[in-house]
Amino acid sequence: MSALKLKLRSAPPVRLDLSRLVPGRLAGLSSAEIEKLVVSGGPQGLTVGDCFEVSGAPGEDLIFEGGSDRFDYVGAEHAGGKIIVEGDVGAYAGRRMKAGHLEINGDAGVCLASNLRGGIVSVGGSAGEHIGLPRPGEKDGMAGGAVIVHGDTGDYPGERMRRGTLIVKGRLGKLAGARMMGGTIWAEQGLSAGAGIQMRRGTLIGPRIDEPLATFVDCGTHDLLILKIMAVHWRNTLGDVAPPAFSPPRRLMGDMASLGKGEILLTEG
Amino acid sequence: MSELSENVADSGPITRNGIAIDDTFAEAFGMSASGVVVTADSPKWARQAAITMSGFGTSVIGCGAECGIDHEVAPEATPDGRPGVRVLVFGFAPELVAEQLKNRVGQCVLTSPGSACFNGLDSARRISLSAGPRFFGDGWQTARKLGESRYWRVPVMDGEFVIEDKAGVSTDAVGGGNILVIGRDRVGVLETCELAVAAIANVPNVITPFPGGIVRSGSKVGSKYGAPASTNDAFCPTLRGAVNSNLSADDKCVLEIVIDGLTAEAVGNAMRAGIKAVLDVGPQRNVTRMSAGNYGGNLGQHHYHLKDYLP
Repeated sequence: MSALKLKLRSAPPVRLDLSRLVPGRLAGLSSAEIEKLVVSGGPQGLTVGDCFEVSGAPGEDLIFEGGSDRFDYVGAEHAGGKIIVEGDVGAYAGRRMKAGHLEINGDAGVCLASNLRGGIVSVGGSAGEHIGLPRPGEKDGMAGGAVIVHGDTGDYPGERMRRGTLIVKGRLGKLAGARMMGGTIWAEQGLSAGAGIQMRRGTLIGPRIDEPLATFVDCGTHDLLILKIMAVHWRNTLGDVAPPAFSPPRRLMGDMASLGKGEILLTEG
Repeated sequence: MSELSENVADSGPITRNGIAIDDTFAEAFGMSASGVVVTADSPKWARQAAITMSGFGTSVIGCGAECGIDHEVAPEATPDGRPGVRVLVFGFAPELVAEQLKNRVGQCVLTSPGSACFNGLDSARRISLSAGPRFFGDGWQTARKLGESRYWRVPVMDGEFVIEDKAGVSTDAVGGGNILVIGRDRVGVLETCELAVAAIANVPNVITPFPGGIVRSGSKVGSKYGAPASTNDAFCPTLRGAVNSNLSADDKCVLEIVIDGLTAEAVGNAMRAGIKAVLDVGPQRNVTRMSAGNYGGNLGQHHYHLKDYLP
């Protein structure tokens, strides 16, 4: 399997728009052509060659050797193959990604996986605010795929989420799943205050919740078959990072100030 | 449909293990088919739901569909990790299969304790599986999309009924493969057919939709009363002297095994397995002859010549 490697020369002086650097858009280009691609606006007009040493050949894999919180739009519209970033990324990583894998071995900035359609986004560190948030004019937040954050998240994770899965191994930020319309957010360390505010549909799962909203109603403890189906699906698609099995959860339905068909499942009862 | 027959034979019989095999063929038809996997807390309840939804599913002419259990599905192979049973439903056209699924799943699977219902046929063409049953939720139903599949959660009195949104449908299915088993002893012929049906059950992608897989009322086309079908008098032992009989003096019983499959090849495999079983166990049970039902070869697209499926 061939891989294209982009080694960061030095910390970028300006924010970089790396949306053109995905395997599908680089296919067929020579190293010289790749080096001429412009990755920043403004008077400086930096190119790939200005910022990176290019080696290897375009293929299914793309590796960034080194990262920066000024790397914006990494993996945007990614549609197959694997992108690995050995470091941090900035805003909008994985935006509208359709398929494949984006592995970030560092922290991610704001609006990770904005309007994600498919594929898997994995963050080794923490992620900023507004995971999945749609851009102005877009209807949905995350609309498919899976995001795994091994560290913590900022506030408003999964805002306006419609489909897909967000798994957070560390601390989940406040107001998770705000205005959510579907999909699943799984917080292994528990749900923070304001979780599910104005959610219409969808599922939030965690061992406990800090301050449940008054507009969620207790429906009791139940063994839900859909969780078995989700567990099988996650095990098949996510492997070892799939959430662990748990006992029948307590089900809170809400937000009753909205449509009220969402649910918060508390695995510690 | 294959129990309607005129039984055109080509020439004289072949004999194997003392059983004469008519040089004739089973005439089968192109059909549409879908499959679902029904799961439950135990194999017992998965099978109960599957049997119930397969009921009144013997002949597409009178029942709207031909239904049966293909095989049991291990928990490791079901979407919810519980024991399951795969049911196949055959009909004249995809939209008619969809209508049958809606009614059968709605009345027989949704109602069965602890059940869930999933797509059981990979196919590019799909029909709705949840249309109907999900609306039982009266607005409380919710959907969950995982990968390419969407699952509906319908609140019911023992928790939630989960049903997949779509099921695959094939227009390459074949209905009406058949074997006629003829003998001197009714009990012996029945036992032979039971063992043949058991052998066919090991063939994937086929069902034997009649009671226990066996038909005792083979029919011919037409009726003096205007019905589309009536008793196949040529194979009725009690009419042997009164009609143009296809039976000999010693023949006391004829039973038919009808086979539907997802492909022509699957039906052929089932024919081969059934014929072998009859030849293996029939001689000890007074089976004397095998034949097959057809319409002269002009109606069905698929002809299964018995001589081509001998072991």
